[in-house]
Amino acid sequence: MRLAVFVSEYREPEMLERLKAEKLGIVLVQNGVYHAALKKDGNVSPVLSKDVEYYALSEDLQSRGFSDSDVVDSKIKVINYDGLVDLIFNDYEKTIWL
Amino acid sequence: MGKITIGCFSSLVGSMSLDFAIKFSDAAVKKGHEVDLWLSGNGTMLGKKGQSKFRDYSYLMDTVMELINSGKFKITNCEACAKARGIGREDTVEGFGVASMDWYLASAFSTDRILHIGGE
Amino acid sequence: MAIKKIAFIVEKLPYKSETSRLALTHAIASQTVEIHLEDGDNVEPVLAFVGDGVLNCLKNQKALDIYGVSSLEAHIKNALLLDLRVLVCKEDLEGFGLTEDSIVMDAEEIGGEVTTQVVPYEEIQQDLESADHLMFF
Repeated sequence: MRLAVFVSEYREPEMLERLKAEKLGIVLVQNGVYHAALKKDGNVSPVLSKDVEYYALSEDLQSRGFSDSDVVDSKIKVINYDGLVDLIFNDYEKTIWL
Repeated sequence: MGKITIGCFSSLVGSMSLDFAIKFSDAAVKKGHEVDLWLSGNGTMLGKKGQSKFRDYSYLMDTVMELINSGKFKITNCEACAKARGIGREDTVEGFGVASMDWYLASAFSTDRILHIGGE
Repeated sequence: MAIKKIAFIVEKLPYKSETSRLALTHAIASQTVEIHLEDGDNVEPVLAFVGDGVLNCLKNQKALDIYGVSSLEAHIKNALLLDLRVLVCKEDLEGFGLTEDSIVMDAEEIGGEVTTQVVPYEEIQQDLESADHLMFF
């Protein structure tokens, strides 16, 4: 399956380790964008350690004091709501909101 | 063009998940997609009449009304969840549907995508 | 004529929030969804409890006495009575030191015929793959 997992909180969701999919995308939204924008004690978030696609919602980054260029890893694609709609309709078939 | 069904169970005030759901719906409708939005649990307060627009509290009704008027957006409150909170049909903004939970599943039956945003 | 499978995955604990209760009530609503659909069309729900969510399934919940609201235990029995497929993650149950004796396994006293299935997470993953849609609570 092609699964988009929304991470909306700044903690590592237990389910994230378990979910498997042919194509897995992690979409960082709401407080989940802190995973994209911050290192803690010099380390990037463990949420970013998977070999999957990563996206962060630009509006949620900006509302929290970050700019799109603040993401800590270039593998994270910063997208806006328009891009997110395209992503969900074109690239993924199922979603889970954590 | 496709159809997405969004379920949002979070409160208008005290959570930003309804804000997300409405902004996502707005972007989807502007791209020509259809959106069904199911409000359950605390999400039902979005349809309550008489909300005030204060800067410290989320207010989404203007965008919701634009979406309803687009003809590509259906928004429906869970009847039992709303009634339990003292929100009857007479207290619900015109344009909102009121239905039992099977409405959400029926929408899920005929949709291309589901985005289920559970409660906090 | 089509059947759409929806997986209701429950990870939240009961009572502090309404989330797991709404998972049960929405899954049970699949019993009446036919009235909205064409003849022969239907929704097939599967309920899966994972992580902390397995604690919704504990026996002897006194929520009706204490909080005045129906217990998650009662809702799970209703789900079994209505022949819903109810899965509980074996690894997570064992992680809490619990067994089948600790959780709602049947609804015999109200006439239910199907039983809860305690299964490895891998089996739940297969249900996520085969479902048309996922709802994570």
